[in-house]
Amino acid sequence: MDKDTSAAPSRPEGDATAGLRDHRYPEGTFAGLIGTPFVTAPTRAALTARMAKPAVTEPRFLSPAEFALLGAVCDRLLDQDGDDRRIDVPGAVDARLASGETDGWRYDALPDDGAAMKRGLAGFDETARALTGRGFLDLGPDERDRVIGAVEAGDPPGAAWADLPAKRFFEDLLAAATESYYAHPLAQEEIGYAGYADARGWQKIELDQREPREPEPVGGPR
Amino acid sequence: MSRSPFATSDEVDAVVVGTGAGGAPLLARLAAAGLSVVALEAGKALDPVRDFARDEEAQGFLFWNDERLSAGEDPVAFGRNNSGTGIGGSTLHYTAYMVRAQPADLRLKTDFGVAEDWPFPYEALEPYYDEVEATIGVSGPSPYPWGPARTPYPLKPLPLNGAAQLMQRGCDKLGIRTSPAANAALSGSYATDGTRFRPACHNCGFCQAGCATGAKGSADVTWLPMAAAAGAEIRPEAYVTGFERAPDGRITAVVYRTPRGDERQRCRNVFLCAGAIETPRILLLNGLANGSGQVGRNFMAHTGIQVWGQFDEFVRPFKGIPGGLISEDTHRPADADFAGGYLLQSIGVMPVTYASQVARGRRLWGKQLRAHMRGYNNTAGINILGDCLPYAHNFVELSDELDARGLPKPRVHFTMGENERRMTDHADKLMQRIWAAAGARDIWSFPRNAHIIGTARMGSDPDSSVVDPDGRAHDVPNLFVSDNSTFPSALGANPALTIMALALRTADRFLARGA
Repeated sequence: MDKDTSAAPSRPEGDATAGLRDHRYPEGTFAGLIGTPFVTAPTRAALTARMAKPAVTEPRFLSPAEFALLGAVCDRLLDQDGDDRRIDVPGAVDARLASGETDGWRYDALPDDGAAMKRGLAGFDETARALTGRGFLDLGPDERDRVIGAVEAGDPPGAAWADLPAKRFFEDLLAAATESYYAHPLAQEEIGYAGYADARGWQKIELDQREPREPEPVGGPR
Repeated sequence: MSRSPFATSDEVDAVVVGTGAGGAPLLARLAAAGLSVVALEAGKALDPVRDFARDEEAQGFLFWNDERLSAGEDPVAFGRNNSGTGIGGSTLHYTAYMVRAQPADLRLKTDFGVAEDWPFPYEALEPYYDEVEATIGVSGPSPYPWGPARTPYPLKPLPLNGAAQLMQRGCDKLGIRTSPAANAALSGSYATDGTRFRPACHNCGFCQAGCATGAKGSADVTWLPMAAAAGAEIRPEAYVTGFERAPDGRITAVVYRTPRGDERQRCRNVFLCAGAIETPRILLLNGLANGSGQVGRNFMAHTGIQVWGQFDEFVRPFKGIPGGLISEDTHRPADADFAGGYLLQSIGVMPVTYASQVARGRRLWGKQLRAHMRGYNNTAGINILGDCLPYAHNFVELSDELDARGLPKPRVHFTMGENERRMTDHADKLMQRIWAAAGARDIWSFPRNAHIIGTARMGSDPDSSVVDPDGRAHDVPNLFVSDNSTFPSALGANPALTIMALALRTADRFLARGA
């Protein structure tokens, strides 16, 4: 029940968004719950610290140019371009790389996390130049997506990819960015998650049951 | 955690390496028999109330995060799954599924001509299954619908959550029997001799991020307090690197690293209970017990494909025990084109874990990812846990890349065989039908392999196995292994219960020899 894919092939079936419910919670849900007795002390400490963390402006592991590139790629991956509540995913990725901590494994086909990131970012730029004649940061959103799509597809143009399997690298980058994003209280508010407010447990656990401290969603159509 | 520490210069009866499902029950048993025992645990001693946040990211410290290199065509992920650290080992984050193996699981060779039979029958494990279930407090249905009749579970089943209700609905339509599952989380408050009072599970759903209430039967609230009460010493932050040996080959001391520096504990016997990657890593590092050449070989990982869907109803998949419903109707499917079989389980899921799987399994990004995730509250899953055959091409070895301690990182090769691919296809089709019958939209499959098994095989023949049927190394008379690495075959069942049962059996066989 975890991220342990074993070379999971991409097998989208059907439209990923067609007809789905949208269960955004109202803004302020997290702020309203975090101080209540529904949240345990260690949970409050962890989430409050995450909320308060300022966005990283000076990277510790990547160069400023690499960091800008990572930010631009992550903004497309998480649809955060121009978002005024931007969650600082690239800052979290850089901090992780600077700490030298790993998540317990890596694909044998990839170099260590730091080397893979530097090489992969160079690869995004090379692919952008091969496809458009310009660097990734000089491209508009649609062209950036085209470059990302080429990397995702696994055989992008660019010398950096010769010894860096693009598919594996892309999967790791997307997973790291996605995990960092959805660990943030505001992203959890966006998907209607208040599972951190469980100090007294849950009694209403069946289908279509909701407890009073769980707000009505404000998202789209039923 | 323990009251009467031994000096490292004391020659203790036994050193137990690892405090998870393999080490903890054995430690409790040896201590109860009056032996002087010291457990060495690489991780820290944690206080769940003070240290455990109800948050996936903050709980990352529960996992064995030393980097492993995953090779082969179906590389297995580690870290957040498949490994643990801290007093209690992987039981700190296991989902507490307490499935018994069925008798046929132990004789694949006899029934299908593949893999290996276990060197003893189900009946040898059965009394230990009873004991484990009673000791750690398993909640489950009585009678249980599949397999041999069993002693009633000490507690009634946990309540069904949304995912369990949906699986029940889909299976009912297809004529597949289901039942509330057996879980080591308490449906009512519970205590046994040597353990403190433990409250009923309050359905927070955070089993995989560590239980903060003590309701889950992890080793730190069950076997280890019992062991400590009986006089065992449990040393955290003790990372085993090597051994001292006498000229006759017997181990005389265990060498380990601590924040204070290297230490050595003198001992008469050693039990390696570090799991199916670290146990062979320690053996290979020390050139120990490998006369057969089988150390690190026969690595297995259960087939574990998941099928996800989104429903009209609110599921809120973070609530309740994640695996609430089970079916073992697929233990030996009539239309199988493979050996062995699998079981079906409903699955709830926490948001970061689900998002990560959407990223890895579907590669959704940008607007599609965000839109898909806004349906998180309508998401439910179903998965299998199926047998996996041992193959020569799947193994653990030492790489030439060094970790922060200067020791070689393990490289784990895993490629599914034809049997695993056929079983996965069979299960994928069936689960897609179940989810369609239950009313799911946007159904998608996430192939995966879970659990780590079989790298220090148990058997009677010293040429083809590492330990004997009692868990004793063929080559080193005072070295024993008690964890999932000794399994000759993977069993179509989640491994924790069998690891614990086997640990008690290993301890009893050791005591019966007159330790």
